[in-house]
Amino acid sequence: MIDIRNLSKNFGTLQVLKNIDIRFEPGKVYGIIGENGAGKTTLFRCIAGLENYDGEIRSGLHPLKNYLGFLPTDPFFFSKITGKEYIRLLCNARKKEMPNLESKNIFDLPLNQYASTYSTGMKKKLALTAILLQENHYFILDEPFNGIDIHSNIIVVDLIKKLKALGKTVLISSHIFSTLKETCDEIYPLKDGKISPTVTRENFDTLELEIKAFTIGNKIEQLELK
Amino acid sequence: MVAYIKLQYLLTNRKLSAFGVHPAIGYPLLLLLFIGLSTYLFNKTTFAPYAYTLIALYFTAKLSEIRRNDFLKICFGRIQYRKIRLLENLIVVLPFAIFLLYKEHYIPPFLLVATTILLALLNVNITYNIPLPTPFYKKPFEFTVGFRNTFFLFIIAYALTAIAVTVNNFNLGIFSLLLIFLTVLCYYLKPENEYFVWAYSATPAQFLIEKIKTAFRFSFYLCLPILLTLSLFYTENTGVLLLFTALGYLYLVAVILAKYAAFPGEIDLMQAIMLSITFIFPPMLIAVIPLFARQSVHELKRLLP
Repeated sequence: MIDIRNLSKNFGTLQVLKNIDIRFEPGKVYGIIGENGAGKTTLFRCIAGLENYDGEIRSGLHPLKNYLGFLPTDPFFFSKITGKEYIRLLCNARKKEMPNLESKNIFDLPLNQYASTYSTGMKKKLALTAILLQENHYFILDEPFNGIDIHSNIIVVDLIKKLKALGKTVLISSHIFSTLKETCDEIYPLKDGKISPTVTRENFDTLELEIKAFTIGNKIEQLELK
Repeated sequence: MVAYIKLQYLLTNRKLSAFGVHPAIGYPLLLLLFIGLSTYLFNKTTFAPYAYTLIALYFTAKLSEIRRNDFLKICFGRIQYRKIRLLENLIVVLPFAIFLLYKEHYIPPFLLVATTILLALLNVNITYNIPLPTPFYKKPFEFTVGFRNTFFLFIIAYALTAIAVTVNNFNLGIFSLLLIFLTVLCYYLKPENEYFVWAYSATPAQFLIEKIKTAFRFSFYLCLPILLTLSLFYTENTGVLLLFTALGYLYLVAVILAKYAAFPGEIDLMQAIMLSITFIFPPMLIAVIPLFARQSVHELKRLLP
């Protein structure tokens, strides 16, 4: 369980998150949606403890960050470190034994090559593999589907379902609504730093239509394409 | 090209300001620091011209980074790119070359300038897709990455040890040992992405102890061939050898702690001054190490509660 109460975050005079109250339960997958700059990544970074904040974040396991696998939007890689060494680094950090990677390399990554030479999608898959092998209880996946190929997309969707079945708490942000529809139990729209009431599975289609109507409106017509 | 140079000037000014120094003071200060350190180096050792040339080449090599140069190639035409590279390389090596000439060394500055021009004009674009094997692969990342970037310096250090024994020059042997320690110290100068600190399930103290333990163990492996050779051939100087090794380890602790005392930023002006003082007056390490230790524990508390 992750219990967030009255969470606010300011960057100087700019208030990015405003009095957020949410509770994330074990064995559930939560989607956070919002426009670019809505505060999704900041919310994730606050939960992870990478940002200072006002308010309270409590969890069943303490400190939360020691049981949390965080997949950033744009994972960072050292210039001369192989995929295998990257996984080893993250396993060492959590005092986990380095597993036999032959069978665990589900994305067929070239683990003996420098990770910095990987494509965007491969980097994402490597970072995801590493946090999975850390055996975390909570997962924050910031844009996990960005840049990955269709085959890996299917694997990631199934992975999220497996994590849910194992009783893990999973938080996802994605701009691809179909993947959220497929994986999430609840979706929280984030707008101007505020969380709107939760949307449950039965209302996902309505939410999608509302987003489309709000986002597109008559904007395409404004272009007067000929 | 003028716009690019102006932009570099602006970036340097910003770096100085971020370091806490006004550019108007920063540039003269840098010049004074350069002259001071150069004079100190030349007064301390007879091998200064070689060390000095290596340092200058190190800075030039930093400008030859592939991705940076690919970006320059995209932005500018081929001729403009070459001009920029040549100008940048010369700006870096000329102060070193001038000081070498002032100290009446004529071959090293000539070689330095020639190498620099070659580096700027040749299209050195070797992409290593096959990772260099490293004995430090089990404990990423500092020594894993560092070894791959600086392995040639270890070859030089071991060669210098062999020469030291051949020409019966113990001081040269000590210089090779210091070269290892200096190289290793460089692994800890830049802060890593905070994700790689956050990822640790450890308290700040446990984290720092782990980092220091790893640094000690791997530095020992790197120094071992030199320590064994010198203690075998210069038994009477074992005390001096142990003293320099102990100093090397103390500096290693100081630099690691200084890095995390400034984390996630880079080592600031005050810390740099304190570290510089310890290099001139080593007993200061007794005061500096506990101070950096307290600061680093404090800074790491945010990421490692």
